[in-house]
Amino acid sequence: MASDNPIIALGEWHPAGSSRSVPSRLAEAGERLTVHDDAGAELSNGKLSAVEISPRVGAVPRRITFPDGSLFETSDNAAIDRFLTRKGRGREGIIHRMERFHPRLIAFVAAAILLGTLIYRLALPALVEVAVAVTPPVVPRIMSSSTLEALDRTVLGDSELDEARRGRVLEGFRAIAAFSGRGKEDFTLNFRKGGAIGPNAFALPDGTLILTDELVELAGNDTEMIVGVLAHEIGHVELKHSLRQIYRAAGVAALIMLIAGDIGSGAEDVLVQGGGLLSLSYSRSAEAAADRHSVELMSKAGRDPTAIARFFQLIEMKLEDHSETSLFSTHPGTPERRKAILDLAAELRAQP
Amino acid sequence: MPAYLDRRNNFGRSPAGGFQRLSFAGSATEYFGIWIVNILLTIVTFGIYSAWAKVRRNRYFYGNTVLLGRGFEYHAKGGQILIGRLIVFAYLIFYNVVLTVMPLAGLVIGLLFFFFVPWLLTRGLRFSARVTSYRNVRFDFVGRTGGAFLAFIVGPVLAALTLGILAPLASRWSYRYIGNNLRYGRKPFATDPSLGAIYKTWLPSAAMILLGLLIIGVIIAINITAMAPLMDDPDAISDELQASIGVLTVFIYVLIFAVFGTASLFYRAGVRNVAWSATTFDGKHRLLSDLSRFRYTWIAVSNFVVTLVTLGLMRPWAAVRMATYVNEHTAVRFEGEVGEIFSAIEQEGSAVGAEFMDIEGFDFGF
Repeated sequence: MASDNPIIALGEWHPAGSSRSVPSRLAEAGERLTVHDDAGAELSNGKLSAVEISPRVGAVPRRITFPDGSLFETSDNAAIDRFLTRKGRGREGIIHRMERFHPRLIAFVAAAILLGTLIYRLALPALVEVAVAVTPPVVPRIMSSSTLEALDRTVLGDSELDEARRGRVLEGFRAIAAFSGRGKEDFTLNFRKGGAIGPNAFALPDGTLILTDELVELAGNDTEMIVGVLAHEIGHVELKHSLRQIYRAAGVAALIMLIAGDIGSGAEDVLVQGGGLLSLSYSRSAEAAADRHSVELMSKAGRDPTAIARFFQLIEMKLEDHSETSLFSTHPGTPERRKAILDLAAELRAQP
Repeated sequence: MPAYLDRRNNFGRSPAGGFQRLSFAGSATEYFGIWIVNILLTIVTFGIYSAWAKVRRNRYFYGNTVLLGRGFEYHAKGGQILIGRLIVFAYLIFYNVVLTVMPLAGLVIGLLFFFFVPWLLTRGLRFSARVTSYRNVRFDFVGRTGGAFLAFIVGPVLAALTLGILAPLASRWSYRYIGNNLRYGRKPFATDPSLGAIYKTWLPSAAMILLGLLIIGVIIAINITAMAPLMDDPDAISDELQASIGVLTVFIYVLIFAVFGTASLFYRAGVRNVAWSATTFDGKHRLLSDLSRFRYTWIAVSNFVVTLVTLGLMRPWAAVRMATYVNEHTAVRFEGEVGEIFSAIEQEGSAVGAEFMDIEGFDFGF
């Protein structure tokens, strides 16, 4: 009689695809598992290798699915674990054993924090460097040409500067570009009417520089100041800031997406916003690096390295109506920038 | 004898006409282990384990959601979820590459995606339903893409364009879309929350947002008048003033986040009550949701604060706390003998195994 077999666990049995349940017992018969009801009649059986036993999660009931689609469910997890161990399948429960509430979880917390920090501090910057290094030069070229095209179609207009003024700026620009790490032919300067952008100068990753008429007007007769600003933009290009910025943002987003798991929707929002703030601080350090680059390039070219400091002074004077938003923007405070530039210029003068 | 077997004893002896409440049998300590191992293994495997982590998390929460002494079950396999995630991930990379290389083409792809989202959502809902079972019988979802477009694209856009005034309409559409297309063992759910009831629950949230914005406006106005004299002379913009403007900006940002967060939690709980309480299964068994909107909002907000302050370590406690509260305020009233009802329910053959055709989509949960 089959019911003499050693009983493994008590539980409920369901026919395939039905919610009808029968109180029953699971038993072992050689290499087979059987289910009997309380009267001892066999409900189902199957070879151990063909029976699917669900992995343990906490104290959630175990599901044992037979080849005929019927299901035996039991909350006696410990009995199933003992049975599996006896059959040499104890390794299946390794994840659950790691999850047990135990002092070693403190070590897991420490390891998770440590690894997370290491990834953010070391792996992410390293990955960004690798990505920048393997990016073929064609990518920044395509990016830049399409960005310029998009800008030209939307906000920028044709430059209205007179030739003489444009010539003076160009001459200064060529002089400093010749001293840059990449050489003169890697940089092109475009004059545009800024329109909504206003007085501005920016660099696209392939070395295309854009200078708005409004900025030239703002500078008045001080061409050197404009050249200093252009040297700053050349710094952005040479240090590949925009590519790094793109890769960094993508990396941070991927980290949050992959690792966060279950942290609650509110906390997730905070992380994403925090990531945005962190990238602001990154762009502030990029600006400072480009400032230093401007000073160095200008003194290499034998021009006035403090020219860009005059530009910041001008901004402070002329754009006083620029409300507090500019204070929380991507750029460091202008007074401290000016001071850093003057300090560095003095330092460079001291060492002939 | 485990508690789960004890609870089974009330099965079949439901008080006639009484509501059967759900309960949550999980505990914070038990979930903490699952949660931290999930995070650790996800980091160690560079994110690949995240699919299996999701399976374990859902099996834990579904399995401990108990109705009539029996838990729900989550059947998805890590591999299925991984494939879905890889597809989404590949798409994101592709989209970002196109966006950097050709900004204008990126816009077109973004728009296409806009129409593709409802389809994805529908597949995701169907997947979630089909990998969920109760008492060995699976759920199913039979909604079509058109309904999803109305519920998840047109609704939210309308709500946003009308500054939330039409949000109840959007809520009604999405609850109707999910509630009327859900099946359990060949039998349908049906829901028809009345617009008037949703508007009634929407009013306090609308008032909260108005009041909050008014307060924020007053704070900004006071500060601007205080700072205006200092602004006249640019050289006088001292570091202190800069710092105080910075602090003020952060403070206002947090305030806006708090006002909108609280109002939307309050609204969410109210709408859930209205919609669930207007839902029937198989035309006669009524569902009920009776969350206290204050308590629900309080639990969500304090969960969020505690999670932040403990750098995430109390998240398992917070998740279990919320699941316990929501389950205890969700109930079903069965018409007739429960034992008889459940001995007659058979699974729709097509629902089994068909989820392999689906990819895991966006989470909605039930």
